[in-house]
Amino acid sequence: MRKLMNAEVMEHNMRLRQMGADVQVINSKMCFVVFQIGEIEVAYCYNVNKKGRYFLERTKPYPLALREFEKEQDVINIIEIDLEQFRNASKSHNIEGFISINRNMHQTLRKFEDLFLYYNVPSEEVDIIKARLDEINQEITKTKASAERVYFKKNPENL
Amino acid sequence: MLQNQLAIAVGVFTITYVIIMSEKLNRTAVAMVGAFLMLILNVESQEQAIDNIDFNTIGLLVGMMIIVNIMKKSGIFEYIAIKAAKLAKGDPWRILMSFAIITAVASALLDNVTTILLIVPVTLVITDTLSLNPIPFLVPEILIANIGGTATLIGDPPNIMIGSATNLGFMDFLLNLAPVVVVIFVVTMTIFKLLFKKNYCCDDSDKDKILQMNENLAIKDMVLLKKSVLVLSCTILGFMLHQSLGYESATIALFFGAVLLLISGLDVEDIFLEIEWPTIFFFMSLFILVGALEVVGVMEFLAEKLLGLTEGDLLLTTMVILWVSAIASSFLDNIPFVATMIPLIKSMATMSTIDVGPLWWALALGACLGGNGSLVGASANVIVSGMISRHGHKLSFVDYLKVGLSMMSISIIISSV
Repeated sequence: MRKLMNAEVMEHNMRLRQMGADVQVINSKMCFVVFQIGEIEVAYCYNVNKKGRYFLERTKPYPLALREFEKEQDVINIIEIDLEQFRNASKSHNIEGFISINRNMHQTLRKFEDLFLYYNVPSEEVDIIKARLDEINQEITKTKASAERVYFKKNPENL
Repeated sequence: MLQNQLAIAVGVFTITYVIIMSEKLNRTAVAMVGAFLMLILNVESQEQAIDNIDFNTIGLLVGMMIIVNIMKKSGIFEYIAIKAAKLAKGDPWRILMSFAIITAVASALLDNVTTILLIVPVTLVITDTLSLNPIPFLVPEILIANIGGTATLIGDPPNIMIGSATNLGFMDFLLNLAPVVVVIFVVTMTIFKLLFKKNYCCDDSDKDKILQMNENLAIKDMVLLKKSVLVLSCTILGFMLHQSLGYESATIALFFGAVLLLISGLDVEDIFLEIEWPTIFFFMSLFILVGALEVVGVMEFLAEKLLGLTEGDLLLTTMVILWVSAIASSFLDNIPFVATMIPLIKSMATMSTIDVGPLWWALALGACLGGNGSLVGASANVIVSGMISRHGHKLSFVDYLKVGLSMMSISIIISSV
């Protein structure tokens, strides 16, 4: 199996290099972590390699962007906090709505990317989309101002 | 007591080999259990078991694996393949011929499986670029990898084992087997050209894509490439001179492997991770298993029977070994077969006045070329079949058998002459 993997890596490497890429193949371990919190499955994958870099991504219930850490403990801390927050959130009546909105937002982002990569979008349309996005951001800020804070172990990174 | 030991040895050996041949369980794990059962059941002692392991074969395999694992990281193989494809001006038949020559030479210097693992990925990229079915390229490459590997001491594990057991050197193999291999190569490629030439045509626009490839992009580390080529050249030179220098082939391989490990600057753990340890332990276990049969006298018994069958006639014995090895290797793993045949032929040498020299060449030719007979005849064949299926193509056992068995038979007929 390892031989087949190495042969595949060689093939991909060759194709990508011909496309102009610089490819680095690093021996590492990929770890898949799954938690079941009530009805919600929270899943992560992280990569541990010899270069001392740790790559973490949440895959369920909705993706968390790939992040790179320098210390293994940071990965564990992120997962711990994430899990605690999901445990708290799972008690809320709005949890289904929250997950649905997140999935919707990721779907919207993918559609948006397709729009710009496949079509020539007029600048007026770009302005409209920007304006709608600003409205959503303002709504989030307004909601934050009137909502009760329930998690204090760490401060929000983006709000 | 002796009868018990004999029964146990034959029983454990037979069951182990049958399970290995069935391919239902991992062959290394099975061989290890069989080997250590021989010790647990007191057929042979630990000291005898260690004595029976041919550390020259093991050392040669490990040494060459180190060298190849490091060389691969420079990108040299991809460079050579793209350069060859461009020199062939993108013409499919000329590309196949170039790749066949590269495969044959590489297989003679490295082992078959490594060669196949290097040439198949690049072949898949090239045939994809040419919008051609890869199977008419990969099947000849499988055949040529087994054929090329027959030419030298280090080209195929059976030859490594035979060389180690008999003190036949690198030059002995080259002078006795390379001429036959060259003839078989030419005949094989001629047959492919005549029978399958319609598979080797493509549009000029696809040929242009090959010409647009840049071989220099394949080089990942030029310094490492130069170091690797230098060390490999020294290694080959070392093999050519090893007998006159008084060194075993394993010493040469391990010494230069260690040198390259030191000067490459690569992570040693990463290189060692790529060594095929299951293969190494498989070999060690086989030596212990076969050694147990020697201890209880089974090999002497079989040698006597074979000599009786052929009445000690050298030509007849040679032909029997050649053809039986070829047919057995077509469908069974040739490494356990050769591991069993070596002490058998050695016993024949001690029991009669027969000159066993030709018998070794017959075993080498039969065991190596026999691997072309079927898809399961050699590890390299199985790997290519796996890689083809991962790319959405299919090479069935029967489809390959039609070509492989015919080509194998032709190569054995040539060897018989």
